[in-house]
Amino acid sequence: MEPIIRLDDVSMVYGGNGTRVAALDGLTLEIAHGEYIAVTGESGAGKSTLLALLGGLHLPTSGKVLVGGVDLSSLPPDGLSDIRRKNVGFVFQAYHLLPYLTARENVMVPMAPESADARRKEERAEALLDSVGLSGKGGRLPSQLSGGECQRVAIARALVHEPPLLLADEPTGNLDTATGEQILDLFLALNGKGRTVVLVTHNRGNAERATRWVHLKDGKISGETRKTEAVPVRNISMAQPGNWRRI
Amino acid sequence: MDIRSLAWKNLRRRKSRAVFTGIGIFLGIGTFVALSTLTSRMENAIQDKLDRFGANILVAPRAEQVSLGFGDIALGGTQVARAKLSGDDRARIESIPMRDRLGRVVPYLLHAADASGKELVWMGAPSADLSGARPWWRIRGAMPGSGDEILLGSEAAAALDKGPGGTVSSGGRTFRVSGVLAPTGEKEDAMVIGDLRAVQELAGTPGAVSYIEVAAHCKDCPVDEIVAEISGAVPGAKVTAIRQVVESRREAVDQFRKLGIGVTAIVLAIALLVVFVTVMGNVQERTREIGVLRAVGFRRRAILSLLFWETGWISFLSSACGVAAGVSVSLLSAPLFGVEGAGFSPGIAATGLAAGTALGLLGSVPPARKASALCPTEAIRSL
Repeated sequence: MEPIIRLDDVSMVYGGNGTRVAALDGLTLEIAHGEYIAVTGESGAGKSTLLALLGGLHLPTSGKVLVGGVDLSSLPPDGLSDIRRKNVGFVFQAYHLLPYLTARENVMVPMAPESADARRKEERAEALLDSVGLSGKGGRLPSQLSGGECQRVAIARALVHEPPLLLADEPTGNLDTATGEQILDLFLALNGKGRTVVLVTHNRGNAERATRWVHLKDGKISGETRKTEAVPVRNISMAQPGNWRRI
Repeated sequence: MDIRSLAWKNLRRRKSRAVFTGIGIFLGIGTFVALSTLTSRMENAIQDKLDRFGANILVAPRAEQVSLGFGDIALGGTQVARAKLSGDDRARIESIPMRDRLGRVVPYLLHAADASGKELVWMGAPSADLSGARPWWRIRGAMPGSGDEILLGSEAAAALDKGPGGTVSSGGRTFRVSGVLAPTGEKEDAMVIGDLRAVQELAGTPGAVSYIEVAAHCKDCPVDEIVAEISGAVPGAKVTAIRQVVESRREAVDQFRKLGIGVTAIVLAIALLVVFVTVMGNVQERTREIGVLRAVGFRRRAILSLLFWETGWISFLSSACGVAAGVSVSLLSAPLFGVEGAGFSPGIAATGLAAGTALGLLGSVPPARKASALCPTEAIRSL
């Protein structure tokens, strides 16, 4: 398959004089369009750094990160913002919803800088909330929603611009097992509709749901597993994902 | 949902912080509006009084001081007038190009003459102009209404032992005392004050004038220009602006204004600091939120815009409240400053509103720049 992301001998070093820590060390990785890849590893293995590099939140100390064929290091800060807005959806462990906004408004946040009609934005947010199973809950504040519902709102927010790439950092870390399963089903369904999903997790069971499993150790890939059989997908209606947009 | 409504919703959530951010601007603009309104009204009131209370330009014949002596012995000196003034000079003064800036133009004649057997100075002025020329005079009785009536200064009345209704004879004429002037502490106290024409007849110099007082409307007073024009109109006269009166009163208002500017500047500087500190604190507190916004694709400009909208709302509302409070304070405190009806001045209010909003935005520039430069991962931390 065509690679949506390519990491070419990427290293990421934090700190300075005497306290330099190599979070990633000469990592090379290709992620194909439509893949569902799980990244596992111990704390400090470089999982979060890898996710930050994939989403253009960080630039590597050395090496290249190519997203859709574009070298992220060649882009100005606003260019990276545009990449994130148009092509990447982030889902965080702690949801990171804005507590003073309703579920619907939280989904609309990525559209705030756009000059689109407010009604259109609302309709889009409602449709996304419907697609993640939150019909009729758009007017509730995060404090009035359960953890699983908050994570669904966060997923709807990540999908607002129909990004071809979804990056999730321990999305089930704050949820009970049953709710976590539902969220993972949702990711599977999104992947089934053509989205590329990168899931960072500590949980081996969660990782086994992906089509590829990359294990990191000391900033390097220490193991990689590819799955051949399909995982059953529950019946969850999703908005049709858009195609990858070249920048 | 747009940047503006996002900013507004955040403000509503953090009401106490918003109030604290705006309180400095509120106080600063309130102080500015109150002091500016009062100063402006005081200036106007003083000017009105100046205009109402009399002359600020004196027109007198140009004279030269001549020293007299005999050999090495100095015998003092005397003044020799180069030219004399006449009643026609009044008309000349009233026809200068800046005549619109002139108030009352009153000619006077001073003449020493007998008054019922006592040698006193007679001061003549047009009867119709007397009350307007000296509005602060307090009179027992009435102002002279015709050429046959006179007003006695307090000392002159005592010397003549006359009161209202009495008579004084001079030059074969009898004058009725219409009133007695309460002591003023000025030279008028020893004078007999009558109609100009009657005093001219008494002196045997019809049409003669000793000096002319001119009251110029001195709002933004171009006294120098008025003096120059009068000098041109009456070449033989020495025209002097009584600057002391104008300038001493103006100086008092200026000092009040400077005090106001100083107090306002200090309060606004504190307000700027409060805005800077609170918005900086706000940015620190919302590091994660800003990181999330950056992660979902907000450009730096969008973050700047968000913070500017937030501070803009606070500054505008605080300034509006400050203007309202300032106007109220100026209304309530006006009597303490001897000002009547310190009302609403749209210019000052608009300036206060604009200055407060600009100040708030200025104070939020460094924090907003810091927020927009936050690295998304540093901000989110959990990633």
